[in-house]
Amino acid sequence: MTDRFRKDLVALVPKLRRFALSLAGNQPDADDLVQSACVKALKNADQFREGTHMDSWMYRIIQTLWIDDRRRAKTRGAPVDPELAGLSDEGRSARLPEDRMMLDMARSAMGALPEKQRIVLSLVAVEGLSYKEAADVLEVPVGTVMSRLSRARDALLPQLGMAKGPMQ
Amino acid sequence: MSAKPTMDRSRLAAFADGELSPEEAAAVVMHLADHPEDQVYVDNLMAANEALLQAFSDPMEEPVPQAIKNVILGEPKTADIIPFRKRPAVWISTAVAATLALVVFTGPDLFAPASAPNLTLGPVDTGSNLAVALNSLPSGVPEVAGTDQEFMILATLPISDGYCREFEVINRAAQRINLGIACITSDSWVVEVTMSEPLSASGTDDGFVTASGAEMQGLMPFLDRLGAGASLAPAAEADLIENGWTP
Repeated sequence: MTDRFRKDLVALVPKLRRFALSLAGNQPDADDLVQSACVKALKNADQFREGTHMDSWMYRIIQTLWIDDRRRAKTRGAPVDPELAGLSDEGRSARLPEDRMMLDMARSAMGALPEKQRIVLSLVAVEGLSYKEAADVLEVPVGTVMSRLSRARDALLPQLGMAKGPMQ
Repeated sequence: MSAKPTMDRSRLAAFADGELSPEEAAAVVMHLADHPEDQVYVDNLMAANEALLQAFSDPMEEPVPQAIKNVILGEPKTADIIPFRKRPAVWISTAVAATLALVVFTGPDLFAPASAPNLTLGPVDTGSNLAVALNSLPSGVPEVAGTDQEFMILATLPISDGYCREFEVINRAAQRINLGIACITSDSWVVEVTMSEPLSASGTDDGFVTASGAEMQGLMPFLDRLGAGASLAPAAEADLIENGWTP
């Protein structure tokens, strides 16, 4: 394992923490998840192919660990606690009360989504991956990504006070 | 009043997610101009995307937690604690310590056959026992040579342009314990400093001493000048041993 590998991994940590936070719903659990993922990545560094996207590789590890943890816990996961949801200022940095409300609603709505929908929505909407990149991370067809996204948004938009779109 | 039919929602979502080609996106824009219901849906999708992005964005503004950094870089807080014999007192004077490069040890043989040259400052012969030990031994693992010599790496320290390793040599026949620092900045080791005292005066045979403890004070000016950091954790040191010592 090279020093470059470790440095690249450190540089990636902010994005990994953001992704983990969107899955776990609170920062302590998210950091535990990232830490576990880093340990796994270091143990399996020989499986990482130079020249490929380390972020996609790490997203895959994180989402796998998260689902495994959830299955072990056999719960739907702790509800999102706004005070632990990663906003150390409890959302005060958002300029307007409406902004803060929207952020709280977004976190709660995300926390209520089924695991697979939460993961794909986070990869696309939070991490900015293309459908193809998300499909590669999850090792599913692009069509599966699109259908999970659609179901996630059907559930999410009403939680945000938005219509879920025209009837088809 | 919206014109019918509306566009497929998956296509509108693909537009909101930036998945469409410029030509496809332009067609959607044209469609939205005549279909306000679809425009509302696209606006909602974009607003939801933005809300989600902001809701989880704090980690992007925060420093990497030290615990995670330690996992990746192998620098746990305990890295400074290494098991080794209590170090001998430094016999060089403060004045000499300021010019460590001039110190030459002419004591007993070093971890080597009797025919090997004495430990001296300067380049370590490639292939010598000392070079092999510096390249391959982990810290804290004693290496016995014959019946009366014992060698052990005490710590590996990163410096600005390479690495240094502290080591000790016990020569029971000569009743001397010697401490040295060798550094590598290109492709070979150089002994930069040595110290020695009678074995009988070195105190205990074993113990735990922090790398930043009192025994290190005589080496501090030298290590400070090199910009030495905290001793490497075993995992990081093992990587260097496995992959070579090229800075």
